[in-house]
Amino acid sequence: MTLFHERWRRRVSLLAAGVLEGAEREATLHHLDACAGCREEQAAVENVLRLVAADPLHREAPTLPVSALIARVEARLDAGPQAQPAQPALNWRPVLVPLAAAAAVVLGVTATLFRTELPGAGGGPIPPTVAVAPSRFDSEQIEVSDDVLRRLERNLAREQTARYLNEAQDLLVTVAASLPICDRAAHRVDVSDEARRSRELLARRSLVDLGSDDVASVRPVLQDVEQVLREVAALDPCVRPADLTAIQREMEQSRLLMKIDLMTRELLG
Amino acid sequence: MGRLAQGDREALAPLMERHSQRIYRIALSYLRKPDDAKDAVQETFVKAFQHAARWDRSAEVGPWLTRIAVNHSIDLYRRGRRRLQSEEPLAEGDHDQRVSTGDPSPERRVIGGQIGDRIGAALRALPEKQRAVFVLRHYEELSLEEIARTLDLSLGTVKSSLHRATQGLRVRLQGLRA
Repeated sequence: MTLFHERWRRRVSLLAAGVLEGAEREATLHHLDACAGCREEQAAVENVLRLVAADPLHREAPTLPVSALIARVEARLDAGPQAQPAQPALNWRPVLVPLAAAAAVVLGVTATLFRTELPGAGGGPIPPTVAVAPSRFDSEQIEVSDDVLRRLERNLAREQTARYLNEAQDLLVTVAASLPICDRAAHRVDVSDEARRSRELLARRSLVDLGSDDVASVRPVLQDVEQVLREVAALDPCVRPADLTAIQREMEQSRLLMKIDLMTRELLG
Repeated sequence: MGRLAQGDREALAPLMERHSQRIYRIALSYLRKPDDAKDAVQETFVKAFQHAARWDRSAEVGPWLTRIAVNHSIDLYRRGRRRLQSEEPLAEGDHDQRVSTGDPSPERRVIGGQIGDRIGAALRALPEKQRAVFVLRHYEELSLEEIARTLDLSLGTVKSSLHRATQGLRVRLQGLRA
């Protein structure tokens, strides 16, 4: 799609959203008559908006009893500025203390794992137990079983992989959706940031897949991501939109973004 | 609002009666969790009371409250995301069952998935400004001018954000048909 059509794309998107008016609306409708690509664009955007209109959230009747709200706001004001809505005193949600305690243990163990080299990363055996010494209780030691350590290792691998995929997805969405213009006269778009970020992600790729079976099912998606990142990394900083077409088509045909989305959600539970 | 600015708490009740449902809908559209949305409504009115003196008398109350609600929803969402990252390591059994089975292609699972979940995930992935603009337009049906006034953005920025948000959703929802 040329920059000329990038402008129409924006108008078509706004037309479908029902916010284009006057001469701009007329011009867009007129252009649509003669532009098959723009009609495809219009259909795609309308599909998105139909999906959003079908979102069950629209049908959920907001039921917020005002009397209860007033009481809570009064209580919150009485409690003073330091009180936060998510705190237990206000009872919107169950207390998360057990989770916080568990998280503290997890963080402590994770920090220890990093200090003592991550088991599995170097192929070495996992020690039978690890003594974790939280700084507040120097005299006490928490014994951590093999099982817990393996679980932590697995969780760490999944979280690292999910984070990596998330970052890659953000980058690829930009490549697929819209990019800033770097040379209006020559009809070129700026991909310097995307290329740089792709190189950074490729450099970090080896840190993600630790050879663990726990992320084995993600490996094909990671390989596809790596392939596209290589192509983006190899781009010149200022390219013609047509130069991106092959990459965009490849992503669309492999449904890469959808796969990343699914894998990330699975990894994070 | 004048009474509120003077610290009259009784003025809060009529304000809440008039605006709370709309604020709740906006917060729910943004956060997609009823409990979080209730927190956001509560804090919106707490902040409205605490900052009533700063309210510009020439401005409408609705957009002012909406802006507080959107800003607070963004804060709440960020906090929630950090909490999720730090407090919720995966349960052991979960992953073994769902990732390592080798079953179903992602496409197959999507077809059986819930539209709401997919839209929620796609919206969550948008940058905050784009998401706020999109929600106010397509869930609250505000005009572009109202959105610009509410979020204190230029009309051009609102148009760009709406377009980019739509394109972002289009990419993330590809393969899903209405």
